[in-house]
Amino acid sequence: MTGAFRSILLAGACAAALALPALADKAGNTLNVAFAAEPEPLDPYKIAGRQGLILARHVFDGLVYKDLDSGTFLPALAESWSRPEPMVLEFKLRQGVTFHNGAAFTADDVVYTLNTVTQPDYGTRYAISVDWIDHAEKVDDYTVRIHMAKPFAGAFEMLADALPIYPHEYFAEAGSEGMTRNPVGTGPYKLVSQEPGIRYELERFDDVYEGSPKAGATIDRIVVRTIPEMNTQYAELISGGLDWIWRIPPDQAEKLESRAQIVSGPIMRIAFINLAPVSAGGETPLADVRVRRAIQHAVNREAITRAFAGGASEVLKSFCNPAQVGCSQDVAQYDYDPEAARALLAEAGYADGFELPMVFAAMPRPVAEAVAADLAKVGITAQLDELQYAAGVGKWREEQVPAFFSNWGSYGVGDVAFLLSNFFGGGADDLVKDPELVDWLTTGDTSADPAERDAVYQQALAKIADEALVLPMYSFNVNYGLSPDLAFKPYPDEFARFWESSWK
Amino acid sequence: MAAPAYRRPLLYRVLGNTGVTLGGLVLLAAVAMALFAPWLAPQDPYAQDLTARVLPPFWHDRADPAHLLGTDHLGRDYLSRLIYGARVSLAVGLGVILVSGTIGITLGLAAGYFGGTVDMIVSFVVTTRLSLPIVLVALAAVALAGASLSTLIAVLGLLLWDRFAVVSRAAAQSLRSRDFVKGMRAIGAGHLRILFLELLPNMRGALIVVMTLEVANAILLEAALSFLGLGVRAPMASWGLMIAEGRENILFDPWLIALPGGLLCALVLAVNLLGDGLRDLTGGKAK
Amino acid sequence: MLVYLLRRLVVAFCVCLAVSVLSFALIFLAGDPAIAIAGSGGSARDAEAVRIAYGFDRPFAVQYLDWIGHVLTGDLGRSIYFNMPVTEIIGSRLPVTLVLGGLAFLAALAVALPLGILAALKPEGALDRAALLLAVTGQAVPSFWLGLMAIVVFGVWTGWVPISGLASWQGYILPVAVLAFSAMPAMMRITRSGMIEVLGSDYVRTARAKGLPAGQVILSHALRNAVLPLVSLAAVQLGVLLSGSIVIESVFAINGLGRLAWESLLRADLPVVQAIILILSAVYVLLTTAGDLLNAWLDPRIRGAG
Repeated sequence: MTGAFRSILLAGACAAALALPALADKAGNTLNVAFAAEPEPLDPYKIAGRQGLILARHVFDGLVYKDLDSGTFLPALAESWSRPEPMVLEFKLRQGVTFHNGAAFTADDVVYTLNTVTQPDYGTRYAISVDWIDHAEKVDDYTVRIHMAKPFAGAFEMLADALPIYPHEYFAEAGSEGMTRNPVGTGPYKLVSQEPGIRYELERFDDVYEGSPKAGATIDRIVVRTIPEMNTQYAELISGGLDWIWRIPPDQAEKLESRAQIVSGPIMRIAFINLAPVSAGGETPLADVRVRRAIQHAVNREAITRAFAGGASEVLKSFCNPAQVGCSQDVAQYDYDPEAARALLAEAGYADGFELPMVFAAMPRPVAEAVAADLAKVGITAQLDELQYAAGVGKWREEQVPAFFSNWGSYGVGDVAFLLSNFFGGGADDLVKDPELVDWLTTGDTSADPAERDAVYQQALAKIADEALVLPMYSFNVNYGLSPDLAFKPYPDEFARFWESSWK
Repeated sequence: MAAPAYRRPLLYRVLGNTGVTLGGLVLLAAVAMALFAPWLAPQDPYAQDLTARVLPPFWHDRADPAHLLGTDHLGRDYLSRLIYGARVSLAVGLGVILVSGTIGITLGLAAGYFGGTVDMIVSFVVTTRLSLPIVLVALAAVALAGASLSTLIAVLGLLLWDRFAVVSRAAAQSLRSRDFVKGMRAIGAGHLRILFLELLPNMRGALIVVMTLEVANAILLEAALSFLGLGVRAPMASWGLMIAEGRENILFDPWLIALPGGLLCALVLAVNLLGDGLRDLTGGKAK
Repeated sequence: MLVYLLRRLVVAFCVCLAVSVLSFALIFLAGDPAIAIAGSGGSARDAEAVRIAYGFDRPFAVQYLDWIGHVLTGDLGRSIYFNMPVTEIIGSRLPVTLVLGGLAFLAALAVALPLGILAALKPEGALDRAALLLAVTGQAVPSFWLGLMAIVVFGVWTGWVPISGLASWQGYILPVAVLAFSAMPAMMRITRSGMIEVLGSDYVRTARAKGLPAGQVILSHALRNAVLPLVSLAAVQLGVLLSGSIVIESVFAINGLGRLAWESLLRADLPVVQAIILILSAVYVLLTTAGDLLNAWLDPRIRGAG
């Protein structure tokens, strides 16, 4: 194998020598980044993919910035804030901030941006990010008020980088499309060239405002390329053509360890299997809570997590990521116990087992197969179907899928509000529509009192576990492959912060 | 062409043709592998062992003697899965030509025999089908019916009939004006009778060639669709699926895709050789 | 001739239309586009907003007519994913695929033509058998597997060519070779059988009897007639090459039209998918029509029968 690796190095050296001169490294103070998926156009209001959003956070700023280490909100474009009325947030804006195009930042930018993106016809991707805003109002050049449309506990989470501020004159003139062609923000890097979806080049913005939470970037230039084949990324990382890649599967990360710097970090995203107690086809074995509990006992989540997730991943004790606010661990636990599972199934009248159609989407196939193999051991024959996420979730909403194995990233936000309400808050993804759960979750999502929120979420999570409505699997972790010279710190929200990176 | 060869006894001619012999033997081996998989496979191809994942094959020093060709990413015995994989490839090949042959021959015969408007409609359908991306059809079918062996066979069967149609159309066209068909019409034989009792047997040779071609084609497409995640339902073992699953490991464990890929090539090669040989023996023309 | 030409063009147009209706319907069958566009973090509410914003709530026929109406006036629409005109996106991805497909086509031709001729000169000879074996192998090897193995051998083990991308001209070698290898067999075989047929025909025998040197006979008489079927096949093969690039582009990490088509399909970027299918089917239909016309022009008998 060492011979092969020498050849890889050789191949890499050839590739590097033949490739474009833009391929630099530490010496050229250029960070070469690769994503496997294409970044979307850089109007972050309209996109969902992490790749585009990461680039956007280097170009744009929000009113505030969330420091994940301390869990507090730091001033960014806003210097300070207050709540003069329960439904009004007032922000004092920072003075002396300039956009990449030289325009000065004022209240007009905030008001115009927010009032534009909250219009239904603007096409903002996630309703949850803007539907709490009624309108923004300019008080004076450096004071803005946001009038809320409804109480929302996640308001500040959204104001921190999920609602970036655009320069109003340029935005009014260029619109969303112009913004994506030539994004202009206040962030620590400016976009100097792009081939949409293929290649992006960012350059450090030297006039970044004083006091910016993203100030102090040391790397001059970031070149981002789309390289869909992971094996190609590994080879280029080993050869020095790349300095940063991510989402390396655990097996490969282990093998790359001796050839590159591997850093692993836990993230908000969790894997779970939704169990539908109702079915469009009428009768379903899953209507019986004993069957759902049997499923919980049947799956050896510990072994599956260790084999396929690896790294910092953990088996979930309740239906949320322990890193999220409100994620109570004090709920009913179901240990791996095939005997108990069989007993429960027999009690429910399924001693001979039954066939369970299970759809998995956006999950690795081996994990789904491992779950199916465990279920088979207690007599449940899982019919596995891999579907594209859209097709899978569409069938789930139509009650055609008894078991839906997928994952949820909570928009990278460390608060259970961004997870539970989607699945048990009475919306389309909620097939249970339990009035108690809906009531508790509504309280939790709107209350500003942390103690009250904790209490209702504890109640809700306990009930979800008692009723065994979800089989929580594990929290994800991300493996990053880095050049040996690069210092990089991963964060649980899956947003790479290259302005914090430096060369060792 | 080589006319004298036809006068020799059939078996002699078959054995004299290296392609047919070689292809036939490999195909026979594959069929045997598929039929006797439960007895041939050293282990249960579906038994997972999460503690023994991605073990290398015997020539590697880390190899486990219990798994001659190593294990896959779920710790399943690779040799056993390769043996069971022959079933999917052969079932796909056979199932697909049954479906596609029926459709293609019916349409082609009708077009060639009746001509005129029928011919025009059929050729329109053929061109439309040829312009439609297979991947899109497969994606829609999987979303509707779920990925499974029968979905796959149905999709490929509904797609791969064009060559059958073209060949049987041409054959029917050329036979239509022959005397014996005219004679049949004269004595009052019905169209269906002529089509299926007279025309069909007369183009056996050409159809056999197309058949082998399409079997090979279907096996390759199964692999390609499995590669794109549109193939058979897990945990079924299929060579194409195994290539797809091994793809992540190509840099570090290339044997994971080399083995099923090699078998796939051998099988398709055998079917092709057989087809070519049969064509020579029956005197059909390459299409 | 003009009538024949017009009739073929009308049929070609109808085929494109039928293909576009079918593919439009298939995309809706493959999953709700609104949910796909809302993305994997999208709630049902987000999907609903998308449905209304892009008019997916309208009846299917209305949506199709709206789309085809714009296409007929030359407007391919805007990509939902990239928020840009479809023509611009396709314009940026098409050249790579065309260059790749074109090079592979030329490479396949460069091998298939001489090999087919040489094989036909001595049927059943050693060269003929070798050529046949090569052809059969080419048909048997799945191109995605060949691509992956080529990467392992020539990229990883020997390091002769770069593993990925098209940053340098060496990057083209593997994908072109793999594509050409899959397209070559059919072209080689048809050249061979065409040559055998022509060489056995009366006028070649006459020419030979008149004492013309063999090389001249082959070049001036046989070849010209033998390439006729190759022309119509070549048209088909070029179309196959273009659509076959989906797999090859994903193996070799090339950002071309094939990958764009696949990714757009997965994210239900309807205007892009429709435009690509339309272009591909148009190219395919036009190439086959052109091949047929060329044959008809060269062989007047077909005109009457067509």
